[in-house]
Amino acid sequence: MAAPDDVIHQPVRLRVMAALSADGEGLDFTQLKKLTGATDGNLGAHLDHLARAGYVEVTKAFVGRRPRTTVKATKEGRAAFARHVAFLKEIIAEGG
Amino acid sequence: MTVDKAQAGADLAAIDNMVARVKQSRIYRVSGNLAVLWGVLQFVQWGVASASPANAPWSWLVVDAVGVAVTLWMLRRALPARLGGAGVKRQLAAFALFYGFGFVWSVLLGHFGDRETTVFWHTLFLFGYCLAGLWFGVGFLVIGLSLSALVIAVYLLVGPPLFWLLIAVVTGFGYILCGLWMRRA
Repeated sequence: MAAPDDVIHQPVRLRVMAALSADGEGLDFTQLKKLTGATDGNLGAHLDHLARAGYVEVTKAFVGRRPRTTVKATKEGRAAFARHVAFLKEIIAEGG
Repeated sequence: MTVDKAQAGADLAAIDNMVARVKQSRIYRVSGNLAVLWGVLQFVQWGVASASPANAPWSWLVVDAVGVAVTLWMLRRALPARLGGAGVKRQLAAFALFYGFGFVWSVLLGHFGDRETTVFWHTLFLFGYCLAGLWFGVGFLVIGLSLSALVIAVYLLVGPPLFWLLIAVVTGFGYILCGLWMRRA
């Protein structure tokens, strides 16, 4: 049986990776905050964790005068998320 | 780290829920942009028709054709099929059905006057919003019902020439404000 991904398993990071995998083109920080229900600091910490693992790419830029942080899942992150989902499905199929 | 069946089920449900919310958020964003586009087009159409009343029917056709083309382009760009968007053929079919139905009633069967025709097309368009609300979220339903009510109120309470200006204001500002609201929702 495949192993769970320690980085993705945490609830907020799981939701972040699910959102980024569903969108495909990347989401900005505000959208992610709204979707996950996390606070600024909490989400920032989890994004740092995911970025250190190489699962997401965080880009900061200015749109007009406003700073904008965009987060996108990397190829490695997508693969890790797909493996974690397969692991969860495997548990369900085998009856835990 | 151990994960039991209940935890795995809960995680998969959380993932499904997040995927659905992301798709809905994307639909709201692109729909908001489209509503702003059509709001601006209402003012353009009103401006052209006011400046040159003789060309009003043609300006309506040209503005709508531009609106449909830009709408298809924006949908294709922001909501490709892999993210749950309908294909171009289905979008074209939707517009063909919409304009076909509207043409049959407003030109062939309805015998409407200018004001009735205007109100008919606006409420037909907004009826589409109401139906979309049943699938894509209550925001569409709110916009469809509230703008329809305003358009009908203008028809019942205001006569020409103020009628045309108020219809442009209600639909133009209405779509723009609703679009901005949807983009934030």
